[in-house]
Amino acid sequence: MRSYMKAWLLAVASAAVFLAQPAVANETLRIGAPLPLTGPLSPEGLKQQRGYDLWAETVNTAGGIKVGGDVYDVEIVYVDYESQTPRAVQTAERLITADNVNFLFAPFGSGAAKAASSVAERYQIPMIAATASSSSVYDQGYQYLFGTFTPNSTLTEPLAKIVANSGQDVSTVAIYARNDLFPLAIANEMKKSTENNDLEVISFDEYAIGTMDHASALTLMLRSKPDWVFTTGYINDLILIRRQMADLGIEPKVLTMIAGPAYQEFIDATGDHSNNVSSAAWWHPAVSYDGKDIFGSTADFVAAFEAKYNAVPDYAEASAAAAGAILELAIEQAGTIEPTAVRDALASMDAVTFYGPVHFGENGQIDSLEPPVFQIQDGKAKTIFPEIIKQADMRFGGIE
Amino acid sequence: MLYAQILLNGLVLGGLYACISVGFSLVWGVLNVINVLHGSFVVLGSYIAYFAYAHFGIHPFFSIIIAGALLFALGYVVQLGLINRVVGAPVLTTLVLTFGLDLLLNNGMLLAFSADYRSVQLADPLGSAVVGGLVFPLDRLVAMLLAGVLTGLLYLLLVRSKIGRAIVAVRMDREAAALMGVDVKKIYAITFGIGALMAGAAGSLLSLVFPISPLAGSEYLSIAFIVCILGGLGSISGAIVGGIVLGLIQSFGALFIGPQHGLTIAFVLLIILLIFKPTGIMGRRGYE
Repeated sequence: MRSYMKAWLLAVASAAVFLAQPAVANETLRIGAPLPLTGPLSPEGLKQQRGYDLWAETVNTAGGIKVGGDVYDVEIVYVDYESQTPRAVQTAERLITADNVNFLFAPFGSGAAKAASSVAERYQIPMIAATASSSSVYDQGYQYLFGTFTPNSTLTEPLAKIVANSGQDVSTVAIYARNDLFPLAIANEMKKSTENNDLEVISFDEYAIGTMDHASALTLMLRSKPDWVFTTGYINDLILIRRQMADLGIEPKVLTMIAGPAYQEFIDATGDHSNNVSSAAWWHPAVSYDGKDIFGSTADFVAAFEAKYNAVPDYAEASAAAAGAILELAIEQAGTIEPTAVRDALASMDAVTFYGPVHFGENGQIDSLEPPVFQIQDGKAKTIFPEIIKQADMRFGGIE
Repeated sequence: MLYAQILLNGLVLGGLYACISVGFSLVWGVLNVINVLHGSFVVLGSYIAYFAYAHFGIHPFFSIIIAGALLFALGYVVQLGLINRVVGAPVLTTLVLTFGLDLLLNNGMLLAFSADYRSVQLADPLGSAVVGGLVFPLDRLVAMLLAGVLTGLLYLLLVRSKIGRAIVAVRMDREAAALMGVDVKKIYAITFGIGALMAGAAGSLLSLVFPISPLAGSEYLSIAFIVCILGGLGSISGAIVGGIVLGLIQSFGALFIGPQHGLTIAFVLLIILLIFKPTGIMGRRGYE
């Protein structure tokens, strides 16, 4: 009797274990992500990580990526390169050779993405760069590099056109840029855009990384009375510059700052002084697209992000999540995880995602997006370009 | 008028720099400890002011008392419990210890407050005043004046009080002070606590001026370092002179050579000074 009971219990337990298992266990798709998770670039690295994590979690919760008869769960393999670009290249190589990742997400920014792209190309592993905008990253003739940021000029050209065609009396521009790769590149593009639109650049000044006071440069700006002040830098620079502009009573008709106002922190930190500050970014939560990707519409993506992080996504976080969603679409289209086939699917992609329409040019950089121009009006960022997602007209003046 | 405005900008900036540096100078001069934690102490003071204003409406001008008291307690405990154990060792040992503690505090703040930049948004900011064509940024100006008052109080403490005289005595000759009955370890802890208090109070004032983030700690530390070497180590007047000289160099450097070179000029002058007058502009030793 006792042995009968034991056998019965064993049978029940075995059946329970058997039933608890899925019919076929999912395989794992490994994607390598070298990121600056510590060091001075860590805030940016952590933002990218949030985008990737949201995508991976959304895919896995939905049951994984279906490829032919197989189903893959997503695993992102993170390696911290401590904000040191040479280490980013080493970690990208290690991810391919030691961790056997199937695909790569590029490290942060144009410089590190460019450096790491040579590794991806050598091993023929598709790599998607979520935060690299400089054309020089993509003009290397590489086949396995794709990027979700359009060239810097796509941010400045619409701004210059809007201002030049506004009918307002705006003719002189003062440019004040952080002497750093991206902020200086954007400032140089702005100089070209103003000249293309018959505006006059009356000053072009650079400030050093780590500058803790802008009073002298702004005092000189105050004397030249530009109609349009265009400043570039990271959020801490721009908060300080905006405050010191207010202290010194610099009140141009147009004030544009890139890239701080894209973040809610900028509005929180500058309060009323953020009003009527214009900016441009590659993406903004106010845009509206009905995507075919895992996130669906832009509103669905924003809701999913807010539910997970209790924060509104910015362009870097959205771009990182989009990099995952785009890779997923390419794998599904290729019907395999074989790198060359996925690379071909990426190269021929023409799809709408929550992030916007996605098509890559010959050089691998996205060429289908129109980055939104926006302005902070009454404490909220409102898109003023492109026309299809416009929420408000651009306001002139009111910079106090 | 342009030069007068640049001079004013430089003086205000220099006052803030002096305020960042005076505690650092005190600790370095008295304890011979290069306190790498100092920048993070300033940031912690800023966070205390930020939260005191956000949650309780306490103006940062008043939260210097809270930030100063909390940071004094933290500094006292850190010195008594940890740094005192190695304070007699070569300067590299204490440097490594405070560097390690700074990593802990900095990453702790990153975890607790995130890397997001914050700023105290006053409901009624003082704004600016224009007098004779000169623009006076009042919040900065009052912050600088309060920093001056605090520094003056520290000076009085050192020259008038019993504890202050004990600190100066330890600074001059540790063994002789011990023979006179001064509890050197306790004086070390009090001095380190005062250094932290000054950092916390400075952070509280600076919360009105600079964006607040754990990442700012290293910038404050480098400012303190330059100011101390420029002005002369271990004296209050050295920190004040060093701060104002650095502020003026940056302001006029930005005017004449361009804003991107303001810091470069400061560093070049620093190197020249180190070669020809390594004791700094004031060139005095101690608080005597």
